[in-house]
Amino acid sequence: MNARIELVVATVDDAVPGIRSLALAHPDGDRLPSFTPGSHLVLDVPAGEGRPRRAANAYSLTGESSDPRHYTISVLRCAPAAEGGSACGGSAWVHGLTVGDRVTATPPRSAFAPIHLATRHLLVGAGIGITPLLSHLRSHVRWGRDAELVYLFRDGHGAHVDELKELGGDRVTFLADRAGLAEDLAVRLADQPLGTHLYTCGPAGFMDAVVDLATELGWPSSRVHLEPFGVAALDPGDPFTVGVAGQVLEVPSGTSLLEALEDAGHVVPNLCRQGVCGECRVDVAPGSSPVLHRDLFLDEETRGAGDCLMACVSRAVPAADGRAHLEVTL
Amino acid sequence: MVSMSQTSVPRWAWDASAPAAEPDLRGRVFTLVVLPGAGDVADRWSTALAGRDVRRHECGDVDAAVAALRADLAVARVGHRVLVAGTARECLAVRAAGVRAGLGDDEMAFGVVDTAERAVWCVHCDATTHAAVELEAVVPCTGCGRRLLVYPHVSRLTGAHLGFMVDAETPADGSAARPADGSAARSEGEAA
Ligand code: FES
Repeated sequence: MNARIELVVATVDDAVPGIRSLALAHPDGDRLPSFTPGSHLVLDVPAGEGRPRRAANAYSLTGESSDPRHYTISVLRCAPAAEGGSACGGSAWVHGLTVGDRVTATPPRSAFAPIHLATRHLLVGAGIGITPLLSHLRSHVRWGRDAELVYLFRDGHGAHVDELKELGGDRVTFLADRAGLAEDLAVRLADQPLGTHLYTCGPAGFMDAVVDLATELGWPSSRVHLEPFGVAALDPGDPFTVGVAGQVLEVPSGTSLLEALEDAGHVVPNLCRQGVCGECRVDVAPGSSPVLHRDLFLDEETRGAGDCLMACVSRAVPAADGRAHLEVTL
Repeated sequence: MVSMSQTSVPRWAWDASAPAAEPDLRGRVFTLVVLPGAGDVADRWSTALAGRDVRRHECGDVDAAVAALRADLAVARVGHRVLVAGTARECLAVRAAGVRAGLGDDEMAFGVVDTAERAVWCVHCDATTHAAVELEAVVPCTGCGRRLLVYPHVSRLTGAHLGFMVDAETPADGSAARPADGSAARSEGEAA
C-alpha cells in the first residue's frame, strides 16, 4: 500500500451543474505540504453503493500550491455503470460527500509541471481539463511569468470561470465551440515566440485536435505537454508474452498485463487501473524485453533501473531480436 | 571504455561515419548555418527544402555563425528549425548557442564534415583548448600546460569536452588512467 494522507472535506461547492469543487483540509487544521503546479492526488474510493470494488481516481489540484490550507479539486460527475455509464463510480461518490467526511488520498504528485526554461506558457484547456491549467496559471501570475490561457467550455458549464477571469484578466480567452477554437488556435499557435511551451488538458479528441494543429504549424513535441490521465484512452499496444511462476501467458493487443494475469488466476493488488495509484507494481526479472512505461507513478530513476512496471498500463516492447517478453514475479 | 551511447557526446560528434541529419520538414521556417567546407551538406539541405522559408547563412567561423543564429532566433516563432553544417567542434559550439537561446534537441540538426578537432575545457584553469584529439586521449592545456584527459562529456551550454589532469593522482607518471571513481568528471556537476 502506498503512503496515504487523511483529509477532511472542508467545503463543497456545486455552483456549476455537474461539477463539484471540494476543499480538503488536514484533519487537525494544519497547513498541507506544498506541491508543484499541475499536480494531482489520487483519492481512494471505497467499494459499496453499487461499486463492486475499491477504486482510485486522480484529480488535479486547482488551488494555491505553496503552503496551502486546502487541497482543492473539481470533479465532473460521470455516470457509473449502474446508471448506464461507463465510469467506475468514483466521481459519483465524490458528488455524494458532505462537509466533515474523511477521505484518504496519496500526497500530491507532479506529472504535468510547468517547464522551468520556458519563457512563455500557453495553456489550452477544455471542460473539466481546466483544473491543472488553473493551477499553472495561478503560479505564473504569482511569479510574473508570461502566460496565456484559452478555455473552451459549453455555455453555463465552465468550471472556475470567474476565478480565471480575476486571476488572468486579458490573458484569458473563453471560447464556446470547436470552430472558434480552431480559428483562434490557428492564429495563436502560428505566432508564439520561440521560448513558448504549450500545455493542454481536456477530452482526448480535444487534445488530439490541439496537438495536430500545433504539429501542423511546426511545433516540436518537446514544446507540447499533455495531461493524460483520466481523459485519454491508451492505445491498445502490441501483443507480448509474459512468464510468471513457470507459466507463459499471452498478452494480446488491447489486453493489459494486469488483465492477463488476473485472467490466469493470479492476484495482483490494484486500485485505479489507469497507472496513477501505484498499487499494481510487479517486479520484472532480467532477460525481459524493454518496457514501455505508460503510468504516471514511477519516477525516471525507477524506470531506468528497469526492474518493475505498473501492470495496469505498461507493456513490453520488442527487443532487438524482435521478441517481446517479460519475466515477472508477483 | 565508456559506452558512447551513455555519454553526453552526440554520435555525430565522434562517429565520422554518422550521416548528416535530414531536415525536419514539419518545421515552418528554417535557419541554415553553414561553416567553411560544409557547403555540400548545406546544398543538399537547401535542395530538400526548396520552396520552403529558408534563411541560409554562410559563416566564416563559429563567432559569425553564432551571431547569425542569434539574430534569426531573436525574432523566431515556434516552428523554427535550425540546421548547422560544419566540423564537430563548430557544430557543438553553435548547438550550445542554440541551447542557450532555448532551442530543444528536436529543433536542431547537424551535418558534420569532420570529427577530428575538439574543444576541451580545463577544469583546473578554465581555459579551452582546441585540438585534434581523440576522446579519452590526452592533450596539453593551452592555459596551464596540464596534461588533460579528454573525458567523453560535452557541456550543452558551451560545446566543450570536459578535460581534467590525467595524472592528478600519480604526478609525473603519464599513464593515461582516469580516477577510478570518475569524481573529477562529476565535479563539473551539470554545468550543462
Ligand atoms: S492499478 Fe493503479 S497504477 Fe495500476
